[in-house]
Amino acid sequence: MNIRRLITAAITLAMTAALAQSAELTQEVRSTAERIAVSTCGTCHGAQGTSIVPKFPNLAAQPANYLAAQLKAFRSRSRGDPDALAFMWGMAAALDDAQIDGLAQYYSSAKPARSGTGGDRTMQARGKEIYELGVDTLHVPPCRSCHGSKGEGMLDFPRLAGQHSQYFLNQMRSFQSNLRSTDIMRPYASALNRSDLEALAEYIQSM
Amino acid sequence: MSENIESTMARSEIYPCEIYVRRARRIDRHSVAERTAILLGAVAAGVFLMTPSALAVPSFARQTGLSCEACHTVFPELTHFGRMFKANGYTLTSLPQVQGMTEEKEQRLSLNQLPPLSMMVQVSDTQLAKALPDSSGLPGRAQNGTVAFPQQVSIFYAGKIAPQLGVFGQLTYDNGSGTVQIDNTDFRFADLVVLPDEKPLIYGLSLNNNPTLQDLWNSTPAFGFPYQASNASVSPLAGTAIDGTFAQSVAGLSAYALWNESAYAELGVYRSAMQGYSNPITGAAGPLDGTASNVVSGVAPYWRVAYEHQWAQHSLEIGAYGATFRLLPGATSATAPTTLQGAINRFQDVAEDVQYQFLGDMHIFSMAATHIHESQTLDASFASGNSANPKDDLTTSRVTGTYFYRRKWGGSASYFSTTGSTDAVLYGIGSKPGVTTSANGSPNTTGWIVEANYVPWLNVKLSLQYTSYTKFNGGSTNYDGYGRNAHDNNTIYILTWFAY
Repeated sequence: MNIRRLITAAITLAMTAALAQSAELTQEVRSTAERIAVSTCGTCHGAQGTSIVPKFPNLAAQPANYLAAQLKAFRSRSRGDPDALAFMWGMAAALDDAQIDGLAQYYSSAKPARSGTGGDRTMQARGKEIYELGVDTLHVPPCRSCHGSKGEGMLDFPRLAGQHSQYFLNQMRSFQSNLRSTDIMRPYASALNRSDLEALAEYIQSM
Repeated sequence: MSENIESTMARSEIYPCEIYVRRARRIDRHSVAERTAILLGAVAAGVFLMTPSALAVPSFARQTGLSCEACHTVFPELTHFGRMFKANGYTLTSLPQVQGMTEEKEQRLSLNQLPPLSMMVQVSDTQLAKALPDSSGLPGRAQNGTVAFPQQVSIFYAGKIAPQLGVFGQLTYDNGSGTVQIDNTDFRFADLVVLPDEKPLIYGLSLNNNPTLQDLWNSTPAFGFPYQASNASVSPLAGTAIDGTFAQSVAGLSAYALWNESAYAELGVYRSAMQGYSNPITGAAGPLDGTASNVVSGVAPYWRVAYEHQWAQHSLEIGAYGATFRLLPGATSATAPTTLQGAINRFQDVAEDVQYQFLGDMHIFSMAATHIHESQTLDASFASGNSANPKDDLTTSRVTGTYFYRRKWGGSASYFSTTGSTDAVLYGIGSKPGVTTSANGSPNTTGWIVEANYVPWLNVKLSLQYTSYTKFNGGSTNYDGYGRNAHDNNTIYILTWFAY
C-alpha cells in the first residue's frame, strides 16, 4: 500500500514537473514568437497582425492550423505564389516548428482587423450573394461552407473577414495560374469571372 | 481552401538580388592637394569632380532569401521593408548559422555558414554635347565618347556579422583612378525592444565613412538620385559639404532610434579619416599634419530627424538633417604645406527632405526631394586670400520623380539646382582651357536629368541617361570665359549594370 502510494506520488510529481516544464517552454516559445512577430513579421503584417499595406494579408485571428500550415509551406517552398517567393520563402526558411507554432498561436489570438469601410455597395451585395449562396451554374459552392458564415475561418480554412481585397485578388490569380496550388480552390477561382471575384473581394473586405 | 495539400512545385533556383547605389561623390584621393590649391577646399570644389560609384549587394538577398522587390522598388530605392532591414543592422538571415553558446545560454557566435559576398560590374559610354578642348593645347579637341569597361567593379561583404551586428562593405575598382579603394562602408549595431504598447523601438549605432550613407531614405545625398552618373563628364564647381564631399575621407559614429517604424532620430560625429595619406616624418598612416588638406577640426556633428507615415500602398516621409564641418585648410598645394592651426573655415549645412512612394503590383511611383542650405564662414580662406568674401552661402535643391511598370520598364526625371553667393576667388580661378571654371565667380548650376531604364532581371539594369544644363558655373553661355556654353556639357550616358 505504501509502495503504491509512493509510486503514485512519484508519478504525480513527475507529471507535475513535466507539466511545469511544458508551461515554461510554452512561455519561452510565446515570448520568442511575440518578438519575431513584432520585430520582423510586423514590418509587413503589422505588429498585431493587422496590415496597413493591402498587398500583405491580415494575420490577426487567422486559425492557428492555417497559419502553421502556410508557414510550413513557405519553409518547404511548396507554396509558390509570387509574393511567397519574393518574401515568405526567405522569411520562413529559418523558422523551426516551435517558432511556427508560437507565431500561429500569437496571431490566432490577436484581435481581428476591423471591417473595411466604404466600397461599392452594389459589388458588395453581389459578393455577399456569392459568398453565401455560391454560383450553381458554375458549380461554385458557397464560400461560407468552408470559411464560416461570418468569414471567421476554421482549422485549415483561412479567415476571410476583413481581408484586404488586393491580397485576396492576388491569391485568386495565383490559384488560377496554379502558382499557389491547392486542389480545392483552383477550380472555383478559375470558374468565377473577374467581376465576380472583385465583388467577392469587396464583400470580404467589408465583412 | 486547405493549404495542407499545397503541392510541391519544381522550381529553378532563384538568385534574387538586393542592390544599393551611392551617389557619384567620392573624392579623388590622388588629387585632393592639387584641388585644394585652388579653392578653400574640397568642400566647395570637390562635389562634382568626384568619381561616380555604385553599390550592388545581392549578398543581402542571398542572406535573407528575399527577392530584390522585398527591399527595393527598383534598386537602389528602398521600400519600407528595406528601410527596416537597414535599421535592424542588416542582420535578418535565413542561412544556416555557425553557432556558439555558453552553458548559461549566452549566444557567443551566430555566423552565416556562407559569407555574404557579391559583385557588381558597370560598363558605360559617355558622350558630351561638345568635345572638350585638348589639354595639350587649342585648337585641338579631346576624343568625344568615353567607353568605360568597366566604369566600376565592386566586391561586397554585406550582411550579418553577429546577432545584432551587420555590415555593408564595399571595395571598388574605379577606372578613373585605376586602383582598388575602400568605398562606402557602414557597420551597424542594432537591437529592438517591444514597448508595453507592443510597438517596436529599434535603436542602434552606425560606424560609417560617408555622411547620410546610413540614412534610411533615398531623399538624402548618399543614396539619392542620380543613383549612377558618368565619371567622364564635366562636373560643376560647387556643392555643399554634406552632399557627398567627404565620402570615404571621414569616419563617423552615430546613434539612432526608430520608434514604431515611423519616427526617426539620429545624432553623430565625423572626423577626418583620409585614405592614402602618410605622415611625411614617420611615413606612417598618421597623424595628419600640414601636408593634409581640409582636415576636420575636432569632430563634425551630424543630426537627422524624420517621420514616415504609411497608409495602404503609400508612404510619405518628411525630415531634416544637417552637419557642421569646421575645417583646417592645411596644405594649399602639394608643395605648400600649412600647419593645422589657427583660423578655420566653417560649413554649416541644414537640409530638409521629403519622400513619397506608391507601391502597386503593376505601377510604382516615387518622388524624392531635398533642399540643402549651407552657410560658409571662411575665416581661414579669406585671411589667406583664397576667398573674396569672409562669408558665402550655397543652396542645393533636387526634385526627382520615378515611375516603373511591373518593375521592368521605367525612368526618372529630376531637376537640380545649386546656387550661391558670387566669389570671384573661390570659384573664379581658371586657367586655360577653362571648362571646369567660372568666368564670373558664380557657383550657380541648374539643369535636369531624364533617365530611361529597362530591368530585364531584377539584378540587371540598362540605363540611358541625359543630363542637360541650363546654367553651368554661373553662366549659360561662355561660362568659363573661353567660349564654352552650359549646354556643351550636356551628357548622354549609357550604362549596363550587373549585380550578382
